[in-house]
Amino acid sequence: MVQSKKQRFLFLAFCLGPTLLVFSVITLYPLVNGLYLSFFEWSGMSIEKTFVGLANYEKLFNDPIIPQTIWHDYFLVVTKVIGIMVLATYFAVALTQFRIKEAPFYRIVFFFPNIMSVVIIGILWQFIYNPDAGLVNSGLEAIGLEEWTQPWLGDLNWALPSLVLPSVWAGIGLFMLLLMGGIMSVPKSLYEAADLDGATEWQQFWRITVPMIWPQIRVSIIYIVITTLNGSFIIVQIMTRGGPSSSTEVMGSYLYEQAFEQFHFGYGAAIGMMILVLSLATVAVLQLVLRRERVEL
Amino acid sequence: MRGTRNRWITSAVASIAVLGMVAGCGSGSDGGDSGGGDGGSAGGSAGGEVSGTLEIQYFVGGYGDEWWKSVISDFKKEYPDVTVKQHAGPNINKEMQTRWISGNPPDVVYIDGAGISQTQMVDDGQLMDLTEWMKGVKLPDGTPMMDSFIVPPNEYDGKIYSLPLIFDTWGTWYDQAWFEENGWEVPTDFPSWMDSMGRIKQDANIAPFTTAGQYPYYFSRGVLYPAFAAEGGDELLNAIIDGEEGAWKSDGAIAVMERVKKMVEAGYVDPGFAGISHTQSQSNFLQHQNAYIPVGFWLPNEMAKDTPEGFEYGFMPTPMNAEGEKQVLVPDLRSLAIADQAENPAAAKAFVEFAFQKKYATQFAEMTGALLNMQGVDLSGNKNVPGYLKQANQLINSGDVAIHHKQHPMSSEMELPIGDALVKFLLGKTTVEQFTDKAASIAKDYRSSN
Repeated sequence: MVQSKKQRFLFLAFCLGPTLLVFSVITLYPLVNGLYLSFFEWSGMSIEKTFVGLANYEKLFNDPIIPQTIWHDYFLVVTKVIGIMVLATYFAVALTQFRIKEAPFYRIVFFFPNIMSVVIIGILWQFIYNPDAGLVNSGLEAIGLEEWTQPWLGDLNWALPSLVLPSVWAGIGLFMLLLMGGIMSVPKSLYEAADLDGATEWQQFWRITVPMIWPQIRVSIIYIVITTLNGSFIIVQIMTRGGPSSSTEVMGSYLYEQAFEQFHFGYGAAIGMMILVLSLATVAVLQLVLRRERVEL
Repeated sequence: MRGTRNRWITSAVASIAVLGMVAGCGSGSDGGDSGGGDGGSAGGSAGGEVSGTLEIQYFVGGYGDEWWKSVISDFKKEYPDVTVKQHAGPNINKEMQTRWISGNPPDVVYIDGAGISQTQMVDDGQLMDLTEWMKGVKLPDGTPMMDSFIVPPNEYDGKIYSLPLIFDTWGTWYDQAWFEENGWEVPTDFPSWMDSMGRIKQDANIAPFTTAGQYPYYFSRGVLYPAFAAEGGDELLNAIIDGEEGAWKSDGAIAVMERVKKMVEAGYVDPGFAGISHTQSQSNFLQHQNAYIPVGFWLPNEMAKDTPEGFEYGFMPTPMNAEGEKQVLVPDLRSLAIADQAENPAAAKAFVEFAFQKKYATQFAEMTGALLNMQGVDLSGNKNVPGYLKQANQLINSGDVAIHHKQHPMSSEMELPIGDALVKFLLGKTTVEQFTDKAASIAKDYRSSN
């Protein structure tokens, strides 16, 4: 039976209507409201708000902390993308191609941090970095590298790099699974043909695996970038609270500090807008950079 | 074709995730600046009929909630017609935020903990003016309430918006038992403190002093405030807190920072302090990884579960005073206030009046190990009051210790950035001049923005 135009329309409205409604309520409305609030001077507690036009944005451009927070965020983005992608790809290839008997076990082990709350991860790694009793320093002492021990999270230079390890550790599992899915869907015949042609495993990886799973790699990178720009503040808030001396302050943690601790809610909203713009711009650039011809079979 | 679709999906996923993040930032208000009209800025005296529902918001932190439950339960017996609704917990200030924004606040609020600021609430007109009402309030024994506080209420342009309920004070803690065991003497001024730290460092092979680097205000309020007061009295202390011009570059402030520099240079400050929170620093202290820590009266109560057997809390006013000068305490008060838009002001006033009684002051000392801000409460013979509190109470009354008052807390707009600079200074990365220059420029920014 052919559907009439009206039926088709009703069906589409039935599918899209509720989605659009929920999207508007939980995404569009807060977004627009955030933009609206960024034009006000508001403590976040008061009934009254004062319209100040672009004053919050002017403050944003003159605030010496802001460039630092942006740099810290992008430092985390770059190190996390490299760390997670290299390790996740390595594990994905190892667990699919190397015929390891215990592969299912490792799959669970690597995915494990993903089912843990970030709060638990942060607290766990605080213990690992503990200057006196932590695993890192006692490990260094045990192998005779005592002079390398540091109060990791309390050092102005080491605190930010120290946040990379837990973030990478927590992120590998998910992307490893994503890439494994991609690798497993690559036809075996391609590898067999390559074998016959005398290609080394390394060549096979670069010439077959990487191009075939490129869409998964691209999604993974973009996803890591977005979650870092938006979510890095959770791990920062738990492990260092932006310190010592702002050396780990990221855009999100600064937003929180301004809006909820210093009672500059309007300014916090302006920082939120900056995060939005930077995230969109970064994703747009990445879309261009990571564009590749898809290999059609 | 498949390529394009794939790309579209990726962008969509990306955009939704980004939008979702801003959603997180922008939420929390429903944008209405109407605020439900001018719903009555609650006049009337407590003398009216006390009934209906009374909503109380109180933060539960280091002092616990036992005392609140006890007072509220007695209040219900006294006023059976009032239904008390309690909003309590460690995150209550944030949970109740929407109620304040929408003009429907609870009646009574205890101002303490993160996410609430008395100065901000007064600025925002959220608190009821209690000036007139307070003039007529008397304790059950007939003394006017205004005369019974240890520290009088903060005034904003001559008006009172909150009543200081809890008398707390920062100081420095040590383990009495451990000190006795090792024959370490308790210092009484800065030179003797330095000697003591030197000896402890040698005997126990530890950095003797620790503080919470994640919350540098533990150091400012616990060490610097009494030091400024010892050096320049109320005047210097309040000039620093208000960010007055020249305060940080004054001789007094520089002398204080020179002393701190000596502690840093001698290696007495724990090198790992910058990365730890208050609870971590406190448990390090309890484990004898350090010997001195600046915290308020709430420390023993907060760490009750983690205190090792045999540990005996000792409290002293932080000895930053020069030789021959008196040690200094700077009280830190937590207030009780009534919302300007309280729906039941009569019951709110009745509750506030009810809470300020000597029997509850005694109960508070027993239950929390801190003091209620009321004069004439004798704790000396009370077996349920911890030893350090009796000691401190005696110190306060003995006249051997100078008590200096800050007019109000430092604005977080200055306190947070100064804290950042302080951490650098305590790590030994900046000189006294660089630190005081930075603090002075933060104070300047603060002055120009207010």
